[in-house]
Amino acid sequence: MMTTGTDAGTIAGTTRPRRAVIDGAWRAIGPGVEVFSGDDGGPLRRTIKRIIDPLVLRLRSNTHYSAPFVTADVAAAMHTQIVDCGPQLRAAAAWFELLKQQRRRLRITTGNAQELYFPVCFELAVTKGAPAEGDQDAAQAVLRDIHSDRDRTAIEVLNQYIGEPDVVDTLADQLARSWQDIRAGDDATASFFDGLTVALGSAEGHRAQVARQRVWTTLTRDATPYNLGAKARDPSVDLPWSIRGLGLSVAEPQQPPTVVGGADGDRPLDRTVVARVRATLRRALDRDELPDIPLLCAEEVDRSCAPWGLLAEDKQAAMVAGIEVAVDLAPLAPSSTARYPVAERIQARLRKEAYVLHARRYLADNGPLHPRQRQVVDDLAAFARPYLSRLWARLHGRDVWQEPCDDVDDLHSLLEGVARSVSLDHRQRIKAMLELQVAG
Amino acid sequence: MRLLADSGLWTTGTHTEALPLVAVLEVSGAVLSWIVDERDRDADIAFTDVVRADWLWRVLGADGHAALSDAVAERAPQPSEALELTGIDVAADRLTPLRRLALGHWMRRWWPASRRDGIAVLDAALLDAEIAVLTANAEEFFTDDTFDSEIVGLLRPHGPALSAHAALGDTRVAALVDACADLASDLGVDVGQHSPLAASTRRDDYALAAGAEHNTGRDGVIAAGTSSINWGGVPPGVFDAAEDTVTWSVRADTDIVECHVHAELSGFGSPAGIPAIVRTGSLGGRGELGADGRARLAVVDAHSKPVSVSAAWDGDWRSTVVTIGVDVEESAATRERVRAFARARLTDPGDDAFLAELIAAESDY
Repeated sequence: MMTTGTDAGTIAGTTRPRRAVIDGAWRAIGPGVEVFSGDDGGPLRRTIKRIIDPLVLRLRSNTHYSAPFVTADVAAAMHTQIVDCGPQLRAAAAWFELLKQQRRRLRITTGNAQELYFPVCFELAVTKGAPAEGDQDAAQAVLRDIHSDRDRTAIEVLNQYIGEPDVVDTLADQLARSWQDIRAGDDATASFFDGLTVALGSAEGHRAQVARQRVWTTLTRDATPYNLGAKARDPSVDLPWSIRGLGLSVAEPQQPPTVVGGADGDRPLDRTVVARVRATLRRALDRDELPDIPLLCAEEVDRSCAPWGLLAEDKQAAMVAGIEVAVDLAPLAPSSTARYPVAERIQARLRKEAYVLHARRYLADNGPLHPRQRQVVDDLAAFARPYLSRLWARLHGRDVWQEPCDDVDDLHSLLEGVARSVSLDHRQRIKAMLELQVAG
Repeated sequence: MRLLADSGLWTTGTHTEALPLVAVLEVSGAVLSWIVDERDRDADIAFTDVVRADWLWRVLGADGHAALSDAVAERAPQPSEALELTGIDVAADRLTPLRRLALGHWMRRWWPASRRDGIAVLDAALLDAEIAVLTANAEEFFTDDTFDSEIVGLLRPHGPALSAHAALGDTRVAALVDACADLASDLGVDVGQHSPLAASTRRDDYALAAGAEHNTGRDGVIAAGTSSINWGGVPPGVFDAAEDTVTWSVRADTDIVECHVHAELSGFGSPAGIPAIVRTGSLGGRGELGADGRARLAVVDAHSKPVSVSAAWDGDWRSTVVTIGVDVEESAATRERVRAFARARLTDPGDDAFLAELIAAESDY
């Protein structure tokens, strides 16, 4: 056994865990924010997720605040930022109390109060200060607005638009033209896959990290992902994988999607244009304004025709990287056959997560514990399909909102995060099938 | 502290205890495990993702957290590698609430309820309610949703059962039910709906009643015996957790040879559809238990052909193996350790006792 030593003293003081920084700053605010705090006085996880990160630290613009470890300077800046917001946070806490009180009065029982109301409370605190006598009406109005189902409103606008004469026909014409426009080039693909072994590799130390980033940047401009996606429609070409086997499409080669209706499959590349737009609207809840529906539809037609159903090259590259990782994942397999370090890491985690099921008596020796679980356990063995389905949905969202996928660390987080959520989802289904049995 | 490589992950320890003795908890970025009857033993912390384990500073201190993260970031462990982190120690007391939570989850799945052994059933609603409250109190360990972060599913089925409990006037129960009501209201859980648990009748009695009609004396009995269930091969809440609860008899009441299998039940789960397999030498049979815990298996030979009565008489039934559920490895000694642990908790409840245990202990004996 080889042993390597690390001395805590050599690192102490240079970096601090961001959660510890936030926790310390929170306690410095003092009393008045108890509804946002846990029993131990630290901020609740939703306080961080819904208020501190997005609204106080504003991670979207202050990306240096988002690292898991921060330098002493950044820690000090974060501390100040949070403590300076003390008055607003106290006012927001008062709003939350009021909203909860009015929630009970209005007999609203749906939705997670923290998740839904926390950001609104902070906004109210910033715009109106602390709630005043007689602000019950304002609170009720806020609650009615929150619970009015904004996404349904947006989807109704979409349905109305699609119902207008000629809209579907026009989009269908555009789709036919767009589909014809996509042609695969003949560029060699070997260098792309060589590059992937670096981009999906580990990088110890700064130089290795810079090199890995450089490789990924090159890959996001490589023609290979586009070409492979385009070739998925060509019956005469053999891809390295089967899009049918990957669960991306029921047909092989891939057929053009339709605008509405038709054989609307649940596979990502088979979904209708309207279904894709609907998904966008559902995910757009947190956005301030509703997007322009006709524009969104027209753009989605082009996107649905683009290779992998994604317009931007970096999303297409991420999709191919994801496919390469996905085919190596098998949560119930005893050993790993992963070709990429990222896949190996994910696979090691998936096995541990399967062990939790095993230790909790939801699985027996990695097989179903009850015949009723057979189907979901088989699904878990075919991990690539739900994995790619979810990855595609995430990339689709980023493609719509033009959020980049050009940072290699971000790519890794994405690939790992998708595995985490698919695994969780799956395990909850396995658990539910067994508990159903017990209750039945 | 020391980190070891284990199947591609870093871990603080690698116990080798059998699953029925292991309490696990999946937190953000790590899976923690404890041995239920070894209270002084430290948790094994297996890191599934050190970066996501943003609670580590709470148990290692900020410097310890940074040092550990630096040591293992971007470093896949090589087989049998070990990493010594000098001057970093786990503050075990910070993990105490997590151990209790893990134990609660363990009780939901492995509590060895047995009428035969006199180990009382734990009230599912009270146990789940207490786990829900503990989960909410440990939320700083669940930045990511994990298998164990969910509270809604623990509360949703138990609304009516909890209200019924609260009405009985036990102040401890009332306090727990109040805490759950607050949680449910904040989380938007509708706990008013029909509960399958509350609706269940005590099916034990029904199983007993159903048992009588089958015992038709020893006529035509070729061989008979008893066997035990491996807990890890069957769902919890279905079978009595004592040893030797499976009785079987090979019979030729007509000219068809059958093996009658009966597994004693306990709890509210249905055994319907759970496989029952009997094997001795080249003879055997397989089928499924019915809702009464019984099965009649046609005895067949190595070619899956029904055996004649005389062939059945010639069979060596002394080494008969009966498998209920999935065929898993599990020792009777492991199960005995679990029973001893459960009995000790009921007889002498410690400061980490769950309300469901206290009430089971008070009401049963």
